Amino acid sequence: MMIGRWPFIVLFALAANAVGGGALAADGSAEKGKIAYVKHGCWQCHGFAAQGGIAGPKLAPDPMPLVALTSFVRNTRGAMPPYQDAILSNADLADIHAWLASLPKATDFRSIPLLNP
Amino acid sequence: MQAHQRFQVIDVPMAADAEATLPALVEAVKHALSNGRQAEIVERGEAARKAFAEGKARTRAAAALGWDASPISTARLCMELYATIRDLDWSLVASEGNVSNWPNRLWPIDKYHQWLGRSGGYGVGYGAPASVGAALANRDLGRFSVSIQSDGDLMYAPGVLWTAAKHKIPLLAVMHNNRAYHQEVMHVQRLSNFRNRPVNLGGDMGPVGTSIQNPDIEYHKLAESMGWWAKGPIKDPAQLGPALKEAARVVQAGQPALLNVWTQPR
Ligand code: HEC
Repeated sequence: MMIGRWPFIVLFALAANAVGGGALAADGSAEKGKIAYVKHGCWQCHGFAAQGGIAGPKLAPDPMPLVALTSFVRNTRGAMPPYQDAILSNADLADIHAWLASLPKATDFRSIPLLNP
Repeated sequence: MQAHQRFQVIDVPMAADAEATLPALVEAVKHALSNGRQAEIVERGEAARKAFAEGKARTRAAAALGWDASPISTARLCMELYATIRDLDWSLVASEGNVSNWPNRLWPIDKYHQWLGRSGGYGVGYGAPASVGAALANRDLGRFSVSIQSDGDLMYAPGVLWTAAKHKIPLLAVMHNNRAYHQEVMHVQRLSNFRNRPVNLGGDMGPVGTSIQNPDIEYHKLAESMGWWAKGPIKDPAQLGPALKEAARVVQAGQPALLNVWTQPR
């Protein structure tokens, strides 16, 4: 299901980017993004470590590209409520993306004894 | 549609308990199968086992995300807990949904009494009293009762803690303390978004009226004041395993014990 939606998201995102000019340039600050992620409530459903859970999928490590993320966050009509730019700026989104991209790779579960009982 | 929620016409009226009848029914069905059918089932079983193993590996990989995070991830909480109880005759006596269903996804649950199930409705405040009731039933059967106790849930009927201490009902209550009525946190965020309004945080992390912070409730002191052994707040995942072992010993000695653990939201 998630994979099936990708072509749509990316196409939509490319179109949005063409109209919006350079507004979605990937020059965010991870430091500011960490704060914006909390302020805008992303942690509520995706977790403070963006690890995901029952209320929302994982967002990191390896987040989707900024244009796709922006398009999703602005236009989703699914289980996640959309954020319009009146409540979440493109600059904040770029920062959030930068923070997500800065998160380290996950530990291999095979190396965690408690996950191999 | 005609049959929806109607009682069905039956051939043999036999009011029976699923736990008692299902094993016999399974045997009877196996007996009635033709050889061809049996071979088909074996083949299908192999494919299902493989898919199940692959699914488990994916779930474990998901559980590893945020493993060392503080507040403690709900996956870590559940797996530290499982490591503590796995060799006991344990019984999970509360819901598991608020911790992303990790017990159902990762604990081997193969005995009827190992999980009490959910409230049946939207049971607000159900967890604490249900756990104490089930722990009372388990006590006389020599079972080890454990609950994953949400903080918001405990705000509804905390007096039940006293009941457990008064009647010496052994129960290990491990708190999933995300410092909020978290379902409401998400709900208010959702509705604010739909109305294009920024949420009012009022100095907390979640929308005003939904967080349980500033001041943070010291649930371990609350429990202690009602006669429980208690410890917390535990925020460092490395401290969780040892604290669980200590608490489990108290419960095995016949007392209720509570660990106040600061956790991720879900
Ligand atoms: C109220 C809960 C909630 C909040 C708050 C929330 N999300 Fe989500 N998010 C979800 C859910 C649920 C999904 C899955 C939606 C779907 O598949 O349609 C999702 C999906 C996503 C996805 C797509 C992930 C993928 O792999 O398909 C992205 C990106 C995302 N969210 C980013 C964010 C960001 C950034 C924020 C904060 C600005 C945020 N979310 C806040 C619940 C939430």
